[in-house]
Amino acid sequence: MSGKTRETANVGAGLWKATGMWAWLLFRISGLILVFYLGAHIIVVSTGRWTEAGRTLNDLMKAFDNPVMVLLDLALVVAVLYHALNGVRIMLMDFGVGIKRHKLVFWSAMAVVVICFAIFAWVAFTFIATGKGVTS
Amino acid sequence: MWSWLFQRITAVLLIVMLAVHLIFTHILDIGNVNYDSIGERLAHAGFIVVDIVLLAAGIFHALNGLRMVLMDYWFTSRKRAKILTAVLWAVGIAAMVYGTWALWPWIS
Repeated sequence: MSGKTRETANVGAGLWKATGMWAWLLFRISGLILVFYLGAHIIVVSTGRWTEAGRTLNDLMKAFDNPVMVLLDLALVVAVLYHALNGVRIMLMDFGVGIKRHKLVFWSAMAVVVICFAIFAWVAFTFIATGKGVTS
Repeated sequence: MWSWLFQRITAVLLIVMLAVHLIFTHILDIGNVNYDSIGERLAHAGFIVVDIVLLAAGIFHALNGLRMVLMDYWFTSRKRAKILTAVLWAVGIAAMVYGTWALWPWIS
């Protein structure tokens, strides 16, 4: 291997060590997941008109109370929170905030993701364990 | 330029409205979402605004975001990008009409 190829290879590997690159990739993946979810969500809500008195919608909502569906819902919350908070970081950078300290801003945003996720996880696991919400 | 600006305007709208939506549906009403409870929520004008804004801003933000991703890979020429934009506008308007139709019994 010549010095030049090795150098090129290192540049490639170094690129993917950068936080911003992973932030960008996860932003795309979470965004695409949310596009498909929005389509599914509109269709699910529209089932309220498919049958008498929203029967299909009520059956679906009951099925979504299944622990597996609640966990999938929680995974969706991760996609929403990551996409929202990384989006806030990008908008802050539009205003010039966090260009010099983008790692600090990124990890601060991720701390907000973790805190919000903890609230949703507490609600979800309480529901799975007791079949009730945290306020009921 | 306009697509960039509207992506940010809808982003801010979505963060605020989605926070309200998730607090009321997931945190406060988990396990209790059904045809009747949705009707009770949408009896309040404020929630109609939240849901319609979520529908419109969500569809725009989702399809405009999808457009940006697709333009990086397959719709790279100006001509193809124009076709993509036209198709996504048609999809978006259809989704908005269908979504409003879905909400109509609760909001009318």
